[in-house]
Amino acid sequence: MSIGHALLGLLEGGPRHGYDLKRAYDERFGQDRPLHYGQVYSTLSRLLKNGFVTEAGVEAGDGPERKRYAITDAGVTDVERWLSTPEKPEPYLQNTLYAKVVLALLSGRSATEVLDAQRAAHLTTMRELTRRKADGDLADQLICDFALFHLEADLRWLELTAARLDQLAAEVAR
Amino acid sequence: MNRTLRPSVLGDLTLGVRLAVGGSRKSWVRLALQGVGIGLGVALLLFAASLPNVLDGRSDRVAGREMVTEGSGPAPLLVEDDFLAFRVDYIGGYYLNPRTPDAPVPPGVDRLPGDGEIFVSPALARLLAEPRGELLRPRFPQKVVGTIGQAGLENPSELQFYAGDTKIKDTSAGVYGWGVPHRRGGLDPMLWLLSVVGLVVLLFPVAVFVGVATRLAAAQRDRRLAALRLVGAAASRVRLIASGESLAGALAGLVVGFGIFFAVRPFVDRISIAELSAFPDEVMPTPVLTLTVIVAVPVLAVVTSLVAMRRTIIEPLGVVRDQKPVRRRLWWRLVPVAIGVALLVSQIGTFTRTEKPDEWPVVGGIVLLMLGIPVLLPWLVERVVFLVKGRTPALQLAVRRLQLDSGTAARVVGGVAVVLAGTVTLQMVLAGVEGEVQTREKKQSSFNYLTVTAKEGSDADGIAAALEKSRAVTALHRVEAAWGQVGTGGWVGLNIGPCAALTKQASIPDCRDGEVYAVRESTGRPAAQPGDVVTFRRSDAKWTVPPLEVVDAGSGTADLFVTPAAARGLVSSNSEFLAVLDSSVPDAVEHARNAIAGYTWQTYTYSPSGPYDGNEAERVFGVVRRALLTGSLLTLLVAAASLLVVALEQVRERRRPLAVMAASGVPRGTLARSLLWQNALPLAISTVVSLATGIGLGALVIRVFGAEVAFDWAGIGLITGIVVGLTFAVTALTLPSLRRATGALGLRTE
Amino acid sequence: MSLLRAEGLTKSFGRTHALDGAGITIREGEVVAVMGPSGSGKSTLLHCLAGILPPDSGTVHYRDHSGSDRELTSMNDGERSELRRTEFGFVFQFGQLVPELTCLENVALPLRLSGMKRKDAERAAKDWMARLEVDAVADQRPGETSGGQGQRVAVARALVTGPKVIFADEPTGALDSLNGERVMHLLTTAARETGAAVVLVTHEPRVAAYSDREVVVRDGRSRDVEFAR
Repeated sequence: MSIGHALLGLLEGGPRHGYDLKRAYDERFGQDRPLHYGQVYSTLSRLLKNGFVTEAGVEAGDGPERKRYAITDAGVTDVERWLSTPEKPEPYLQNTLYAKVVLALLSGRSATEVLDAQRAAHLTTMRELTRRKADGDLADQLICDFALFHLEADLRWLELTAARLDQLAAEVAR
Repeated sequence: MNRTLRPSVLGDLTLGVRLAVGGSRKSWVRLALQGVGIGLGVALLLFAASLPNVLDGRSDRVAGREMVTEGSGPAPLLVEDDFLAFRVDYIGGYYLNPRTPDAPVPPGVDRLPGDGEIFVSPALARLLAEPRGELLRPRFPQKVVGTIGQAGLENPSELQFYAGDTKIKDTSAGVYGWGVPHRRGGLDPMLWLLSVVGLVVLLFPVAVFVGVATRLAAAQRDRRLAALRLVGAAASRVRLIASGESLAGALAGLVVGFGIFFAVRPFVDRISIAELSAFPDEVMPTPVLTLTVIVAVPVLAVVTSLVAMRRTIIEPLGVVRDQKPVRRRLWWRLVPVAIGVALLVSQIGTFTRTEKPDEWPVVGGIVLLMLGIPVLLPWLVERVVFLVKGRTPALQLAVRRLQLDSGTAARVVGGVAVVLAGTVTLQMVLAGVEGEVQTREKKQSSFNYLTVTAKEGSDADGIAAALEKSRAVTALHRVEAAWGQVGTGGWVGLNIGPCAALTKQASIPDCRDGEVYAVRESTGRPAAQPGDVVTFRRSDAKWTVPPLEVVDAGSGTADLFVTPAAARGLVSSNSEFLAVLDSSVPDAVEHARNAIAGYTWQTYTYSPSGPYDGNEAERVFGVVRRALLTGSLLTLLVAAASLLVVALEQVRERRRPLAVMAASGVPRGTLARSLLWQNALPLAISTVVSLATGIGLGALVIRVFGAEVAFDWAGIGLITGIVVGLTFAVTALTLPSLRRATGALGLRTE
Repeated sequence: MSLLRAEGLTKSFGRTHALDGAGITIREGEVVAVMGPSGSGKSTLLHCLAGILPPDSGTVHYRDHSGSDRELTSMNDGERSELRRTEFGFVFQFGQLVPELTCLENVALPLRLSGMKRKDAERAAKDWMARLEVDAVADQRPGETSGGQGQRVAVARALVTGPKVIFADEPTGALDSLNGERVMHLLTTAARETGAAVVLVTHEPRVAAYSDREVVVRDGRSRDVEFAR
């Protein structure tokens, strides 16, 4: 799961403070693992260095850090590339996939395309495994089947999510 | 108190009824279909059960208008009864001359007609009013003063009249009253036998149909019952519940049946065939028969559904039908046939025309033989179907289907087979018996004459003059007629007259005075042999038949034609005029009859082209025959309806394979042909069996009657043709449902 | 070069729009999975593609064995029947075998419908049954076989005429994983050997994994991933 891309995606909605970003992230993606402040600032400084975000002014106040960050054009391009590139199919992807879908919805991009691209990637891997299974011995078959069943679970999740996109969009927009 | 939780039979049956009527629209549709199906059968049964009442009513009324000619003192009423022929109809009636004011009034009218007045039956009134009655009107110049009510009519279509005529003299019958006592149900034994056979034949398919109708939508029911098994109902209880469902259908059928019966009843007097028409208020089933119907139909429904489920095992997860059918055994199926044949054979030669035979062996034999067909058919269909090789895909599909379940098809066509065999038998019996009763062919268009018999004391010269004046008459001969008994055997009619008259009545190729001609009877033997002694009626004079020449059948009532020179020693019983008619005049017969219309009751006319006032039995034969043919047609339709029900049900059950086959490109034509084969194979087998049984049975029954075996090939052909037609019709009617099943929607999973 | 190409297909059942502008292209010899949730219209798409169901609008072009282009929606019922019988093969989820015929007769049926003699048809059928490893049940009725055997008999029947396209609608829907995979393996292997294209409607990813590519149907519209780009 790329925290950087997630933060970039959140910034697409408008400039935010680091603290805001953490709160928004935790709210949407951090159910079991909230981000540390340190993670937020180290990620933001990396994004700054790469030119994906800029500082959009400092607000006067009591807090330790009142910097606002905004996404750059390069940052938008990077988010776009990230969203349209399917994840390498492997088990336990759902965090990333979920984040992608939500960010796509937040930014008004097509979440369906994200899901379809991922489905295609998954199926390609499953085809590969199915072919390997046909040529291999029993041990190969069992190992391939293990992967196939997990990938199938992912794919089922993709299907389900695709079927619930409208519901999710409504929830995200709230 | 400890409440028993033991399942009760009644409770299970009730649950079944509730399942049948409860809930969905589909179950109502099914119930409605069953109700209509069984209802049709019930209505038919109710009409059959009304027959005794109708027949009794008829004979009561006919007896009620018989003249009472014995009494003391001078008769208050003088009567001439008359039968006059008009084309193919008979008009019966009385000419009345009351001599006292309190002369007895005949049934059906409230007063006696005055001179020149007439009461006519509604049917006669209609006939006189119609254009086709135009040539009849001259014979009824009287003033119509009313119509005859039900009490004076045998049936609603009867042509009947009461006319007042003061010309009637003392020489006519003196009547003291109307109505003679009579015995009810006094049907001729042979007719009685025929009617019993007819009823058995007609009612069997109704029973089959009732059975089939309870099986409507059986697949759906099985699924429902499987669900009941799943929640823990035992197999035996499920059977009871299923019986309850059938019961619901049967009860609905009873309601519908009574409804149809009472709806149709008011219209039975509109039937134009007089003998089939009846007065509505009389069409009422007898209590015993009604009760029988009310009890038998539900019992039959329950029993059929139990029998049908015998080989169906309802498991909690669905319905299992025995995949490998038990090989049917032959021997016990032959038992009814064997007993039936034995019974009939034992009765050969014991039957005489006047005596009621030992009825039960005959009827029992016939019924057993009839029932032998549906018992034997399943075995036969199975055997044949296993021998047939599926030469084309359509035939293969049909044959395989039948191999898997030939029982259903065989049961249904069993109904058709019984009708068919029965009809063939009856046709043969009728053909044989008819040949017996009616000793020669009566209608030959080459004979064109009218004989006029003048009653004693009538103005014979006036009649002759009137006939000669008619432009329809080309020549008038006087012939003498006599009736006598040959030895102790049959009666013969003699006609004595010049060759010019005799050749008009029979095909006598080379007529010479001094010769005697005998007509060849339908049996092939001449009516009399030389040397036979004829004893004449009335006079009791005897006459020995001289050498004679045998000629082909004639047209009249006479069996022997005697030229004047050969007629020495013969005593004539009455004289007749033979009027030769002008063939160029249309309706010459009716014109000639109208020429002597003024003599009405003084004359009796006979024309070979008109109705034949021969044996009453013959007329009734015609009626029975028509009734039976109509009945067999109706029941064939009922049987076809059963076939249709089964065929539709099969298409429904096999919806998915049919849809898949159509999807895979199996042409619909192939599927339709396989349906046709599926219907046609059992029907063809049953047709062959029933023709064989019918002909065999017919021959046996005719032998029992001691008559000659005659084949009514035309009738057999007709009925067979109808069966073939029905096969096609049933298949054609299944096609729409096949079309629906093979649409892509049939592929959709539910 | 495309073998079967559908464009702008619409089809309604009453008020339900099963297809709403779907399209798909099938090339010779490829295995294409048609995926999508239940009720998305994937079966209806297959029915229209195969000429079982005429669409309300849209076209279906098929290049037959002689290379000429045929437009299915303008053909009459008889022509489409013949096309399905001679050029296509079908495998459905269940209930496709004629229950009264033996398995061998079931497989031989399409050949006999094309006029082949019974003996020849049954010999060819036997060969195919052997390839699908179901020759042991040749003389049994479908009701007496296991689900997997029945499906393999159905596959043999679909392949016996040497079709150019096999339409398979949830062919493993009623089977467990092992039997399902066996059916899929034999089906796709045999199809690749004979050069038949396979249109595989399924909602099971593992079954779809036997395909070369997938087309997703959603709300009556199809996304032909490859041809969309």
